[in-house]
Amino acid sequence: MLRASAVCEAAGIASSSLVAAGFIGQAKATRVGLGMPNLPWATLPGHPGVQTREQLRANVIETTLPEVIDNLTGVLADGAIVEGEPAMRDVVFTGGFDEVNQYFLDREWSDGLPIVPPTRERVEAFLRHTRRGADDVLGVLLPDNRAATVWSIAVNGVMAGCRPEYMPVLVALVEAMADPRYGVEHSGNTPGGETLIILNGPIIKELGFNYTQGVMRDGFQPNTSVGRFWRLYLRNVTGFLLHKNDKATYGNTWRVAIAENEDVVKAIGWQPNSVDMGFEPGDNTVTIARYTGGGMASSMSGSTPEELLPYLADGLVRQTFWQIVFTMGVGYGTLRPLALISPIIAETIAAAGWSKSDVKQFLFENARMPAWQFERLLRDWLCKPIWNLTEEAERGNIPREVFAASDDPDRMIPIVWAPEHFMLVVTGDPLRTSGYMFGHNGQLGFPVAKKIDS
Amino acid sequence: MSELSNEGNFAALWPRSPRQSVTKQLAPRHATLNGKVVAQVWDYLFRGDEMFETLEEGLRERFPDIRFVHWREFGNIHGSDERQVIAMLPERLKSAGVDAVITAVAA
Repeated sequence: MLRASAVCEAAGIASSSLVAAGFIGQAKATRVGLGMPNLPWATLPGHPGVQTREQLRANVIETTLPEVIDNLTGVLADGAIVEGEPAMRDVVFTGGFDEVNQYFLDREWSDGLPIVPPTRERVEAFLRHTRRGADDVLGVLLPDNRAATVWSIAVNGVMAGCRPEYMPVLVALVEAMADPRYGVEHSGNTPGGETLIILNGPIIKELGFNYTQGVMRDGFQPNTSVGRFWRLYLRNVTGFLLHKNDKATYGNTWRVAIAENEDVVKAIGWQPNSVDMGFEPGDNTVTIARYTGGGMASSMSGSTPEELLPYLADGLVRQTFWQIVFTMGVGYGTLRPLALISPIIAETIAAAGWSKSDVKQFLFENARMPAWQFERLLRDWLCKPIWNLTEEAERGNIPREVFAASDDPDRMIPIVWAPEHFMLVVTGDPLRTSGYMFGHNGQLGFPVAKKIDS
Repeated sequence: MSELSNEGNFAALWPRSPRQSVTKQLAPRHATLNGKVVAQVWDYLFRGDEMFETLEEGLRERFPDIRFVHWREFGNIHGSDERQVIAMLPERLKSAGVDAVITAVAA
């Protein structure tokens, strides 16, 4: 919202954003990052989602309208003064372990757990593990508009408890974060989805990542500290702080990084996730995407793909209710649901001669819901009284053959546009017959992969 | 609060990174909205269409010669093509002769 207003202002067109009361803190922080500390907004009392038509109208007339007029015609107050900041390599505090930690907590530079004090010696040890220069900038990250420097990656890597040899992974992660397709600027949005990091390649074993039992649990240093690094970097460089730019309604703790079981993938003749993401087999890669939640399919039973895969299809549909707005409505064709499957499940499916593509095709044909339910979800979540898939297809917004092949409201339609929109990763306890399905956040955390340059 | 231990001695570096934005001036404000063209720009969420309808009515009462460009003209600023839509906004607003813009809805 404010990004659109800032673009208009820069083009010489006066603006007024409409901001709900609960988002004023975010607006204050965001406008500073946009370089317009007095960018104005008009307040919407309460939240429009729970107001009757009459209440909304009264609130807009009594509160919002006068502020819009003031914003477009009045004299605007000066914005918050942007305080001077240290330079990139500055030592900001010298003291004992507890004192450093308190200093960082007081300035919101820590997540609440103790950090490893980022000293020059430690940071330089990290920098020796990358060919990049410390001053290299991998991107400029909204909302704070800060430079994603290699130096800042090393500093936050130290703080997170990473080892210096993880540095190539951290650099690749920030490259992915800075990729416009990912949409890092949305990381503070209402759903509070959390990024999942997926490792592929020989680097998994070289660095000791857990890729088997309990892969999503903290307890292995690379998985845990790399996951923590991600959130610290979002905090310190990107600028997502709770009660400011991070407006997650509930949020989650950062996820530990996971890794694929490439031994099993190779043994069954499937391609790893990295190849699905466009890389060569054997490449070291990181893949990121934001997920709104997930659920376990615990202890599935079956000896054939036809018996096992309905569990996954069912789980994927259950993780997709409001998220359907990324199939159409808010995003179009940007939903990328992810299923993790345990090695024994993958082995059983592959033993029947099924490829990964076959699995995705099955999910496309079976992870479905009735058209009437699809339309009801869109109506409910988009506050739009009429949603008609046939009309959407006629406007060319969605593929007719997928969503509007007939007018039968009971026809079953898929939750994604194409089989390849499902992501599949083999990981977890090798001998447990389980899976884990993630709901995806669409273009507000779209899957992006980068090669690890080690 | 318990007393802090002074164990160790660490010269800690700044964990943030320099801001790249420079402070920019806002566009000039208007003496009146009479005779001005106001664009509605929306993210297609949270009943912005109703808000624009009400705002339009209220603004017309106060500024009878005001004109509006409907939100449908600009597309969804929070959709799959958000970056392109926002990047193209200035050009599209200028070609529509827009003097001011209301963007909705941050909620």
